[in-house]
Amino acid sequence: MSITRINIGPIHPSTHGVCRLVVDVDGDTIVKVEPHIGFLHRGVEKLVENRMYMQCPPYMEKLDYVAPMSMDDLYVGAVEAALGVEVKERAKYVRVILLELQRLASHLFLIGSVGNDLGLMFTMFMWAFKDRDLILKLLEEATGQRMFYVNMRLGGLVNTLPKDFEEHTIDTLEGLEKRLKKYQAFLEKNPIFIERMKGVGVLKKEDAIDLGVTGPVLRASGVRYDVRKNNPYYVYRELNFSEKVLYDGDNLARFRVRILEMYESMRLIRAAFEKMPEGDEKGMPIRLITPKAKNRIVVVNREVPRGEGLIYMVADPEKAYRLSIRAPSFINLAALEHITKGARIADLFAIFGSLDLVMADVDR
Amino acid sequence: MKIERNKFADSIFEMHEKGFTYLVKITAVDYQKYLEMVYIFRNLESIEENTLEIDLDPSDLWMPSITNYYKAADWYERELQEMFGVEIKGRNAKRLLLEKWDGKGFPLRKNFEWNKQYETME
Repeated sequence: MSITRINIGPIHPSTHGVCRLVVDVDGDTIVKVEPHIGFLHRGVEKLVENRMYMQCPPYMEKLDYVAPMSMDDLYVGAVEAALGVEVKERAKYVRVILLELQRLASHLFLIGSVGNDLGLMFTMFMWAFKDRDLILKLLEEATGQRMFYVNMRLGGLVNTLPKDFEEHTIDTLEGLEKRLKKYQAFLEKNPIFIERMKGVGVLKKEDAIDLGVTGPVLRASGVRYDVRKNNPYYVYRELNFSEKVLYDGDNLARFRVRILEMYESMRLIRAAFEKMPEGDEKGMPIRLITPKAKNRIVVVNREVPRGEGLIYMVADPEKAYRLSIRAPSFINLAALEHITKGARIADLFAIFGSLDLVMADVDR
Repeated sequence: MKIERNKFADSIFEMHEKGFTYLVKITAVDYQKYLEMVYIFRNLESIEENTLEIDLDPSDLWMPSITNYYKAADWYERELQEMFGVEIKGRNAKRLLLEKWDGKGFPLRKNFEWNKQYETME
Protein backbone atom coordinates (compact mmCIF):
# COMPACT_ATOMS: atom_id res chain seq x y z
CA MET A 1 0.00 0.00 0.00
CA SER A 2 1.41 3.32 -1.00
CA ILE A 3 -0.33 6.64 -0.95
CA THR A 4 -0.09 9.05 -3.83
CA ARG A 5 -1.03 12.68 -3.47
CA ILE A 6 -2.83 14.32 -6.39
CA ASN A 7 -3.54 18.00 -6.76
CA ILE A 8 -6.73 19.03 -8.55
CA GLY A 9 -7.46 22.65 -9.29
CA PRO A 10 -7.71 25.51 -8.37
CA ILE A 11 -8.87 26.02 -11.95
CA HIS A 12 -10.63 22.88 -13.06
CA PRO A 13 -13.75 22.53 -15.21
CA SER A 14 -15.49 20.23 -12.77
CA THR A 15 -15.08 22.26 -9.60
CA HIS A 16 -17.70 24.76 -10.80
CA GLY A 17 -15.60 27.67 -9.70
CA VAL A 18 -12.23 28.02 -8.08
CA CYS A 19 -11.54 25.26 -5.61
CA ARG A 20 -8.41 23.22 -5.02
CA LEU A 21 -8.67 19.62 -3.92
CA VAL A 22 -5.70 17.74 -2.52
CA VAL A 23 -6.51 14.07 -2.88
CA ASP A 24 -4.62 11.18 -1.28
CA VAL A 25 -5.21 7.97 -3.22
CA ASP A 26 -4.21 4.37 -2.68
CA GLY A 27 -4.40 2.81 -6.12
CA ASP A 28 -7.59 4.44 -7.33
CA THR A 29 -9.33 4.48 -3.95
CA ILE A 30 -9.61 7.80 -2.21
CA VAL A 31 -8.10 7.88 1.27
CA LYS A 32 -8.57 11.56 1.97
CA VAL A 33 -9.78 14.68 0.21
CA GLU A 34 -8.84 18.06 1.53
CA PRO A 35 -10.61 21.04 -0.05
CA HIS A 36 -8.63 24.26 -0.07
CA ILE A 37 -10.97 27.22 -0.39
CA GLY A 38 -10.82 30.98 -0.21
CA PHE A 39 -9.87 31.90 -3.75
CA LEU A 40 -13.10 33.85 -4.16
CA HIS A 41 -13.16 35.41 -0.71
CA ARG A 42 -14.40 39.00 -0.92
CA GLY A 43 -15.25 39.66 2.69
CA VAL A 44 -18.94 40.32 2.11
CA GLU A 45 -19.68 40.12 5.82
CA LYS A 46 -17.26 42.96 6.46
CA LEU A 47 -18.39 45.08 3.51
CA VAL A 48 -21.97 44.95 4.71
CA GLU A 49 -20.99 46.47 8.06
CA ASN A 50 -20.02 49.67 6.27
CA ARG A 51 -23.02 50.19 4.02
CA MET A 52 -26.64 51.21 4.48
CA TYR A 53 -29.17 48.39 4.48
CA MET A 54 -30.44 48.74 0.94
CA GLN A 55 -27.01 49.23 -0.59
CA CYS A 56 -26.22 45.61 0.14
CA PRO A 57 -28.54 43.40 -1.99
CA PRO A 58 -26.18 43.49 -5.02
CA TYR A 59 -23.40 42.05 -2.84
CA MET A 60 -25.71 39.34 -1.61
CA GLU A 61 -26.69 38.36 -5.13
CA LYS A 62 -23.09 37.69 -6.06
CA LEU A 63 -22.86 35.14 -3.27
CA ASP A 64 -24.76 32.60 -5.28
CA TYR A 65 -24.59 33.54 -8.92
CA VAL A 66 -26.64 30.54 -10.04
CA ALA A 67 -29.62 31.59 -7.95
CA PRO A 68 -29.07 35.28 -7.12
CA MET A 69 -32.65 36.14 -6.28
CA SER A 70 -32.90 33.65 -3.46
CA MET A 71 -29.90 35.17 -1.66
CA ASP A 72 -31.31 38.63 -2.26
CA ASP A 73 -34.57 37.48 -0.70
CA LEU A 74 -32.73 36.01 2.29
CA TYR A 75 -31.00 39.31 3.00
CA VAL A 76 -34.06 41.48 2.44
CA GLY A 77 -36.01 39.10 4.66
CA ALA A 78 -33.50 39.72 7.45
CA VAL A 79 -33.71 43.49 7.02
CA GLU A 80 -37.51 43.35 7.02
CA ALA A 81 -37.42 41.38 10.25
CA ALA A 82 -35.02 43.88 11.81
CA LEU A 83 -36.93 46.99 10.78
CA GLY A 84 -40.33 45.38 11.39
CA VAL A 85 -41.66 45.80 7.85
CA GLU A 86 -44.71 43.79 6.79
CA VAL A 87 -44.64 42.26 3.31
CA LYS A 88 -47.69 43.10 1.19
CA GLU A 89 -50.07 40.19 0.63
CA ARG A 90 -49.75 40.14 -3.15
CA ALA A 91 -45.99 40.61 -2.95
CA LYS A 92 -45.76 37.38 -0.95
CA TYR A 93 -47.30 35.48 -3.84
CA VAL A 94 -45.17 37.21 -6.45
CA ARG A 95 -42.03 36.48 -4.45
CA VAL A 96 -42.94 32.81 -4.19
CA ILE A 97 -43.47 32.68 -7.96
CA LEU A 98 -40.16 34.35 -8.76
CA LEU A 99 -38.22 32.36 -6.17
CA GLU A 100 -39.59 29.07 -7.41
CA LEU A 101 -38.73 30.05 -10.98
CA GLN A 102 -35.25 30.77 -9.72
CA ARG A 103 -35.12 27.36 -8.09
CA LEU A 104 -36.12 25.74 -11.39
CA ALA A 105 -33.33 27.61 -13.17
CA SER A 106 -30.83 26.57 -10.52
CA HIS A 107 -31.79 22.89 -10.54
CA LEU A 108 -31.69 22.87 -14.36
CA PHE A 109 -28.12 24.08 -14.04
CA LEU A 110 -27.37 21.01 -11.94
CA ILE A 111 -29.06 18.61 -14.34
CA GLY A 112 -27.01 20.04 -17.15
CA SER A 113 -23.70 20.01 -15.35
CA VAL A 114 -24.13 16.57 -13.79
CA GLY A 115 -24.13 15.06 -17.27
CA ASN A 116 -21.04 17.03 -18.07
CA ASP A 117 -19.29 15.87 -14.89
CA LEU A 118 -19.97 12.23 -15.69
CA GLY A 119 -18.59 12.46 -19.19
CA LEU A 120 -21.98 12.21 -20.86
CA MET A 121 -20.71 15.03 -23.01
CA PHE A 122 -22.77 17.88 -24.16
CA THR A 123 -26.29 16.72 -25.00
CA MET A 124 -27.81 17.06 -21.55
CA PHE A 125 -25.93 20.29 -20.94
CA MET A 126 -27.38 21.93 -24.04
CA TRP A 127 -30.90 20.73 -23.38
CA ALA A 128 -30.93 21.82 -19.76
CA PHE A 129 -29.38 25.18 -20.53
CA LYS A 130 -31.90 25.84 -23.25
CA ASP A 131 -34.66 25.37 -20.72
CA ARG A 132 -32.82 27.41 -18.14
CA ASP A 133 -32.67 30.19 -20.66
CA LEU A 134 -36.44 30.12 -21.11
CA ILE A 135 -36.82 30.61 -17.37
CA LEU A 136 -34.24 33.38 -17.28
CA LYS A 137 -36.26 35.02 -20.02
CA LEU A 138 -39.34 34.92 -17.81
CA LEU A 139 -37.38 36.43 -14.95
CA GLU A 140 -36.12 39.11 -17.26
CA GLU A 141 -39.68 39.89 -18.24
CA ALA A 142 -40.63 40.26 -14.59
CA THR A 143 -37.59 42.11 -13.28
CA GLY A 144 -35.80 43.70 -16.22
CA GLN A 145 -32.54 41.83 -15.68
CA ARG A 146 -31.33 38.52 -16.95
CA MET A 147 -29.02 37.48 -14.18
CA PHE A 148 -28.56 39.84 -11.22
CA TYR A 149 -32.04 41.09 -10.55
CA VAL A 150 -31.85 43.29 -7.43
CA ASN A 151 -35.60 43.09 -7.46
CA MET A 152 -36.44 43.02 -3.77
CA ARG A 153 -37.43 46.07 -1.79
CA LEU A 154 -38.63 46.26 1.77
CA GLY A 155 -42.24 45.09 1.84
CA GLY A 156 -42.43 44.12 -1.82
CA LEU A 157 -40.66 44.31 -5.14
CA VAL A 158 -39.26 46.89 -7.50
CA ASN A 159 -41.35 46.03 -10.54
CA THR A 160 -44.93 44.96 -10.90
CA LEU A 161 -45.50 41.84 -12.97
CA PRO A 162 -46.23 42.53 -16.64
CA LYS A 163 -49.73 41.79 -17.92
CA ASP A 164 -49.13 38.60 -19.87
CA PHE A 165 -46.53 37.18 -17.46
CA GLU A 166 -48.92 34.57 -16.11
CA GLU A 167 -49.74 33.28 -19.58
CA HIS A 168 -46.07 33.09 -20.59
CA THR A 169 -45.11 31.31 -17.39
CA ILE A 170 -47.85 28.71 -17.63
CA ASP A 171 -46.90 28.03 -21.26
CA THR A 172 -43.22 27.66 -20.44
CA LEU A 173 -43.90 25.37 -17.50
CA GLU A 174 -46.10 23.15 -19.62
CA GLY A 175 -43.29 22.61 -22.09
CA LEU A 176 -40.72 22.21 -19.32
CA GLU A 177 -42.75 19.58 -17.51
CA LYS A 178 -42.89 17.41 -20.64
CA ARG A 179 -39.22 17.84 -21.38
CA LEU A 180 -38.18 17.18 -17.80
CA LYS A 181 -39.73 13.71 -18.03
CA LYS A 182 -37.77 13.19 -21.20
CA TYR A 183 -34.51 14.32 -19.59
CA GLN A 184 -34.96 12.10 -16.59
CA ALA A 185 -35.68 9.11 -18.84
CA PHE A 186 -32.72 9.98 -21.04
CA LEU A 187 -30.36 9.95 -18.08
CA GLU A 188 -31.81 7.13 -16.02
CA LYS A 189 -32.07 4.69 -18.92
CA ASN A 190 -28.39 5.20 -19.54
CA PRO A 191 -26.47 2.35 -17.84
CA ILE A 192 -23.33 4.48 -17.50
CA PHE A 193 -25.24 7.19 -15.69
CA ILE A 194 -26.86 4.72 -13.30
CA GLU A 195 -23.61 2.92 -12.63
CA ARG A 196 -21.88 6.09 -11.60
CA MET A 197 -24.78 7.46 -9.58
CA LYS A 198 -26.42 4.51 -7.84
CA GLY A 199 -24.73 3.47 -4.61
CA VAL A 200 -21.93 5.98 -5.10
CA GLY A 201 -21.14 8.56 -2.46
CA VAL A 202 -23.56 7.23 0.12
CA LEU A 203 -24.27 9.55 3.03
CA LYS A 204 -26.17 7.89 5.88
CA LYS A 205 -28.85 9.67 7.83
CA GLU A 206 -26.90 9.91 11.10
CA ASP A 207 -23.81 11.17 9.31
CA ALA A 208 -25.83 13.71 7.36
CA ILE A 209 -27.16 15.16 10.62
CA ASP A 210 -23.76 15.04 12.31
CA LEU A 211 -22.05 16.75 9.39
CA GLY A 212 -24.79 19.36 9.27
CA VAL A 213 -25.42 19.08 5.54
CA THR A 214 -28.43 20.93 4.29
CA GLY A 215 -31.04 21.20 1.59
CA PRO A 216 -31.47 18.50 -1.05
CA VAL A 217 -28.36 16.69 0.23
CA LEU A 218 -29.95 16.33 3.68
CA ARG A 219 -33.32 15.31 2.27
CA ALA A 220 -31.75 12.71 -0.03
CA SER A 221 -30.40 11.04 3.11
CA GLY A 222 -33.86 10.65 4.56
CA VAL A 223 -34.11 13.63 6.90
CA ARG A 224 -37.46 15.32 6.69
CA TYR A 225 -36.52 18.96 6.99
CA ASP A 226 -37.34 21.78 4.65
CA VAL A 227 -37.61 25.38 5.82
CA ARG A 228 -40.59 25.92 3.56
CA LYS A 229 -42.44 23.21 5.49
CA ASN A 230 -41.04 23.38 8.99
CA ASN A 231 -40.69 27.13 9.36
CA PRO A 232 -42.94 28.40 6.59
CA TYR A 233 -42.51 31.92 5.30
CA TYR A 234 -44.54 33.88 2.75
CA VAL A 235 -47.44 31.70 1.59
CA TYR A 236 -45.94 28.23 1.46
CA ARG A 237 -48.40 27.01 4.07
CA GLU A 238 -51.39 28.27 2.08
CA LEU A 239 -50.04 26.60 -1.05
CA ASN A 240 -49.76 23.24 0.77
CA PHE A 241 -46.10 22.77 0.12
CA SER A 242 -44.86 19.23 0.68
CA GLU A 243 -41.19 18.44 1.05
CA LYS A 244 -39.51 15.76 -1.04
CA VAL A 245 -37.51 13.13 0.81
CA LEU A 246 -35.60 10.09 -0.46
CA TYR A 247 -33.76 7.53 1.64
CA ASP A 248 -30.80 6.15 -0.31
CA GLY A 249 -28.40 9.01 0.31
CA ASP A 250 -26.38 8.32 -2.82
CA ASN A 251 -25.72 10.45 -5.88
CA LEU A 252 -28.85 9.22 -7.61
CA ALA A 253 -31.04 10.13 -4.64
CA ARG A 254 -29.54 13.63 -4.54
CA PHE A 255 -30.26 13.98 -8.25
CA ARG A 256 -33.82 12.64 -7.96
CA VAL A 257 -34.70 14.84 -4.99
CA ARG A 258 -33.97 17.86 -7.13
CA ILE A 259 -36.10 16.56 -10.00
CA LEU A 260 -38.97 15.97 -7.57
CA GLU A 261 -38.50 19.45 -6.16
CA MET A 262 -38.78 20.87 -9.65
CA TYR A 263 -42.20 19.27 -10.14
CA GLU A 264 -43.22 20.66 -6.75
CA SER A 265 -41.96 24.11 -7.73
CA MET A 266 -44.03 24.03 -10.90
CA ARG A 267 -47.10 23.06 -8.89
CA LEU A 268 -46.42 25.87 -6.43
CA ILE A 269 -46.12 28.45 -9.20
CA ARG A 270 -49.41 27.39 -10.78
CA ALA A 271 -51.16 27.38 -7.40
CA ALA A 272 -49.72 30.79 -6.54
CA PHE A 273 -51.07 32.27 -9.77
CA GLU A 274 -54.51 30.87 -8.99
CA LYS A 275 -54.66 32.18 -5.43
CA MET A 276 -52.87 35.49 -5.99
CA PRO A 277 -55.00 38.42 -4.77
CA GLU A 278 -55.38 41.67 -6.70
CA GLY A 279 -53.51 44.66 -5.44
CA ASP A 280 -50.12 46.22 -5.35
CA GLU A 281 -46.78 44.47 -4.92
CA LYS A 282 -44.43 47.42 -4.99
CA GLY A 283 -42.09 47.80 -2.08
CA MET A 284 -40.87 50.96 -0.36
CA PRO A 285 -38.74 53.26 -2.46
CA ILE A 286 -35.30 53.37 -0.91
CA ARG A 287 -35.39 57.08 -0.03
CA LEU A 288 -38.55 56.66 2.04
CA ILE A 289 -37.08 54.17 4.44
CA THR A 290 -36.87 55.69 7.89
CA PRO A 291 -34.28 53.56 9.55
CA LYS A 292 -35.16 52.47 13.04
CA ALA A 293 -34.32 48.93 13.88
CA LYS A 294 -36.99 47.36 16.05
CA ASN A 295 -35.22 44.12 16.74
CA ARG A 296 -31.58 44.17 17.71
CA ILE A 297 -30.81 40.53 16.92
CA VAL A 298 -32.49 38.78 13.99
CA VAL A 299 -32.18 35.19 12.83
CA VAL A 300 -33.86 34.52 9.48
CA ASN A 301 -33.75 31.36 7.41
CA ARG A 302 -34.95 30.58 3.92
CA GLU A 303 -34.78 27.51 1.72
CA VAL A 304 -32.54 28.60 -1.12
CA PRO A 305 -31.93 26.11 -3.97
CA ARG A 306 -28.69 24.85 -2.43
CA GLY A 307 -30.06 24.33 1.03
CA GLU A 308 -30.96 26.32 4.09
CA GLY A 309 -29.62 29.84 3.98
CA LEU A 310 -29.56 31.60 7.34
CA ILE A 311 -28.65 35.09 8.39
CA TYR A 312 -27.74 36.06 11.93
CA MET A 313 -27.84 39.83 12.10
CA VAL A 314 -27.14 42.32 14.85
CA ALA A 315 -28.94 45.41 13.63
CA ASP A 316 -27.96 49.03 14.11
CA PRO A 317 -30.46 51.73 13.04
CA GLU A 318 -28.94 52.34 9.63
CA LYS A 319 -26.76 49.38 8.89
CA ALA A 320 -25.89 45.95 10.13
CA TYR A 321 -23.51 45.90 13.09
CA ARG A 322 -22.70 42.32 12.27
CA LEU A 323 -24.12 40.08 9.58
CA SER A 324 -23.26 36.43 9.56
CA ILE A 325 -24.34 34.24 6.68
CA ARG A 326 -24.75 30.50 6.84
CA ALA A 327 -23.95 29.58 3.28
CA PRO A 328 -25.40 26.21 2.25
CA SER A 329 -22.54 25.39 -0.13
CA PHE A 330 -20.00 26.00 2.63
CA ILE A 331 -21.34 23.34 4.91
CA ASN A 332 -22.04 20.87 2.09
CA LEU A 333 -18.44 21.16 0.89
CA ALA A 334 -17.23 20.50 4.43
CA ALA A 335 -18.94 17.11 4.18
CA LEU A 336 -17.10 16.17 0.98
CA GLU A 337 -14.21 14.62 2.85
CA HIS A 338 -16.52 12.21 4.65
CA ILE A 339 -18.62 11.28 1.61
CA THR A 340 -15.70 10.53 -0.69
CA LYS A 341 -13.81 8.32 1.75
CA GLY A 342 -13.35 4.94 0.07
CA ALA A 343 -14.80 6.01 -3.26
CA ARG A 344 -12.99 5.73 -6.57
CA ILE A 345 -11.03 8.72 -7.78
CA ALA A 346 -13.10 8.69 -10.97
CA ASP A 347 -16.25 9.18 -8.90
CA LEU A 348 -14.89 12.19 -7.06
CA PHE A 349 -16.44 14.66 -9.45
CA ALA A 350 -19.66 12.70 -9.72
CA ILE A 351 -20.00 13.20 -5.97
CA PHE A 352 -18.74 16.77 -6.07
CA GLY A 353 -21.25 17.58 -8.80
CA SER A 354 -24.14 16.00 -6.93
CA LEU A 355 -23.58 18.35 -3.97
CA ASP A 356 -24.32 21.27 -6.32
CA LEU A 357 -21.81 23.73 -4.90
CA VAL A 358 -21.22 27.33 -5.85
CA MET A 359 -17.76 28.44 -4.83
CA ALA A 360 -18.62 32.10 -4.39
CA ASP A 361 -21.11 30.98 -1.77
CA VAL A 362 -18.47 28.88 0.00
CA ASP A 363 -15.88 31.64 0.25
CA ARG A 364 -18.10 34.67 0.78
CA MET B 1 -29.39 31.36 26.54
CA LYS B 2 -26.36 33.03 28.07
CA ILE B 3 -23.90 30.75 29.83
CA GLU B 4 -20.40 30.88 31.27
CA ARG B 5 -17.48 29.33 29.47
CA ASN B 6 -16.66 26.89 32.26
CA LYS B 7 -20.18 25.43 32.04
CA PHE B 8 -19.97 25.21 28.26
CA ALA B 9 -18.78 21.61 28.00
CA ASP B 10 -21.63 20.39 30.21
CA SER B 11 -24.18 22.39 28.24
CA ILE B 12 -22.97 20.93 24.96
CA PHE B 13 -23.23 17.41 26.37
CA GLU B 14 -26.71 18.13 27.68
CA MET B 15 -27.75 19.68 24.38
CA HIS B 16 -26.60 16.66 22.42
CA GLU B 17 -28.39 14.29 24.81
CA LYS B 18 -31.63 16.24 24.51
CA GLY B 19 -31.70 15.59 20.76
CA PHE B 20 -30.27 18.87 19.52
CA THR B 21 -27.97 16.94 17.22
CA TYR B 22 -27.95 19.31 14.26
CA LEU B 23 -25.56 22.23 14.44
CA VAL B 24 -26.93 25.14 12.47
CA LYS B 25 -24.25 27.75 12.89
CA ILE B 26 -21.39 28.96 15.02
CA THR B 27 -20.68 32.64 14.77
CA ALA B 28 -19.26 35.46 16.84
CA VAL B 29 -20.04 39.12 17.34
CA ASP B 30 -17.42 41.63 18.40
CA TYR B 31 -19.10 44.08 20.81
CA GLN B 32 -15.69 45.64 21.50
CA LYS B 33 -15.99 45.37 25.31
CA TYR B 34 -16.51 41.64 24.95
CA LEU B 35 -16.77 39.11 22.18
CA GLU B 36 -19.89 37.01 22.04
CA MET B 37 -19.83 33.48 20.67
CA VAL B 38 -23.15 32.23 19.32
CA TYR B 39 -23.95 28.54 18.85
CA ILE B 40 -27.26 27.66 17.22
CA PHE B 41 -28.52 24.07 17.50
CA ARG B 42 -31.61 22.39 16.13
CA ASN B 43 -33.60 19.36 17.11
CA LEU B 44 -34.71 17.81 13.83
CA GLU B 45 -37.42 15.68 15.48
CA SER B 46 -39.33 18.44 17.19
CA ILE B 47 -37.99 21.31 15.00
CA GLU B 48 -36.90 23.38 17.96
CA GLU B 49 -33.92 25.66 17.98
CA ASN B 50 -31.67 26.52 20.86
CA THR B 51 -28.98 29.15 21.09
CA LEU B 52 -26.01 29.26 23.42
CA GLU B 53 -24.23 32.58 23.92
CA ILE B 54 -20.90 32.91 25.66
CA ASP B 55 -19.20 36.22 26.38
CA LEU B 56 -15.42 36.21 26.10
CA ASP B 57 -12.97 38.76 27.41
CA PRO B 58 -10.87 40.18 24.54
CA SER B 59 -7.67 39.46 26.46
CA ASP B 60 -8.59 35.81 26.98
CA LEU B 61 -10.02 34.56 23.70
CA TRP B 62 -10.36 30.83 23.63
CA MET B 63 -13.12 28.26 23.40
CA PRO B 64 -13.12 24.48 23.71
CA SER B 65 -13.73 22.63 20.48
CA ILE B 66 -17.05 20.82 20.01
CA THR B 67 -16.01 18.66 17.07
CA ASN B 68 -16.25 15.56 19.27
CA TYR B 69 -20.00 16.03 19.42
CA TYR B 70 -20.69 17.86 16.16
CA LYS B 71 -18.53 17.16 13.10
CA ALA B 72 -20.19 20.12 11.41
CA ALA B 73 -18.37 22.43 13.79
CA ASP B 74 -15.02 21.80 12.12
CA TRP B 75 -15.11 24.41 9.37
CA TYR B 76 -16.95 26.95 11.49
CA GLU B 77 -14.24 26.72 14.14
CA ARG B 78 -11.52 27.16 11.56
CA GLU B 79 -13.32 30.18 10.20
CA LEU B 80 -13.62 31.73 13.66
CA GLN B 81 -9.94 31.21 14.42
CA GLU B 82 -9.07 33.06 11.27
CA MET B 83 -11.67 35.81 11.27
CA PHE B 84 -11.90 36.61 15.00
CA GLY B 85 -8.69 35.24 16.46
CA VAL B 86 -10.55 33.01 18.88
CA GLU B 87 -8.31 30.11 19.72
CA ILE B 88 -10.22 26.85 19.63
CA LYS B 89 -8.58 24.39 22.00
CA GLY B 90 -8.58 20.65 21.49
CA ARG B 91 -8.60 20.51 17.72
CA ASN B 92 -6.58 18.03 15.70
CA ALA B 93 -6.34 19.93 12.42
CA LYS B 94 -4.46 23.19 12.76
CA ARG B 95 -4.77 24.47 9.19
CA LEU B 96 -6.70 27.69 8.73
CA LEU B 97 -9.61 27.88 6.34
CA LEU B 98 -8.95 30.41 3.63
CA GLU B 99 -5.97 30.13 1.39
CA LYS B 100 -4.58 33.49 0.49
CA TRP B 101 -4.81 35.64 3.62
CA ASP B 102 -1.28 36.50 4.71
CA GLY B 103 -2.01 39.74 6.57
CA LYS B 104 -1.99 40.61 10.23
CA GLY B 105 -5.08 41.10 12.30
CA PHE B 106 -8.50 39.51 12.31
CA PRO B 107 -10.80 40.83 9.58
CA LEU B 108 -14.17 40.61 11.31
CA ARG B 109 -13.06 42.30 14.53
CA LYS B 110 -14.21 45.89 14.90
CA ASN B 111 -10.68 47.26 15.27
CA PHE B 112 -9.87 46.03 11.76
CA GLU B 113 -10.58 48.88 9.37
CA TRP B 114 -12.19 47.69 6.21
CA ASN B 115 -10.58 49.97 3.65
CA LYS B 116 -7.04 50.23 4.93
CA GLN B 117 -3.85 48.77 3.49
CA TYR B 118 -2.52 46.21 5.93
CA GLU B 119 1.08 45.16 5.94
CA THR B 120 1.60 41.49 5.24
CA MET B 121 3.72 39.31 7.40
CA GLU B 122 6.59 37.41 5.91
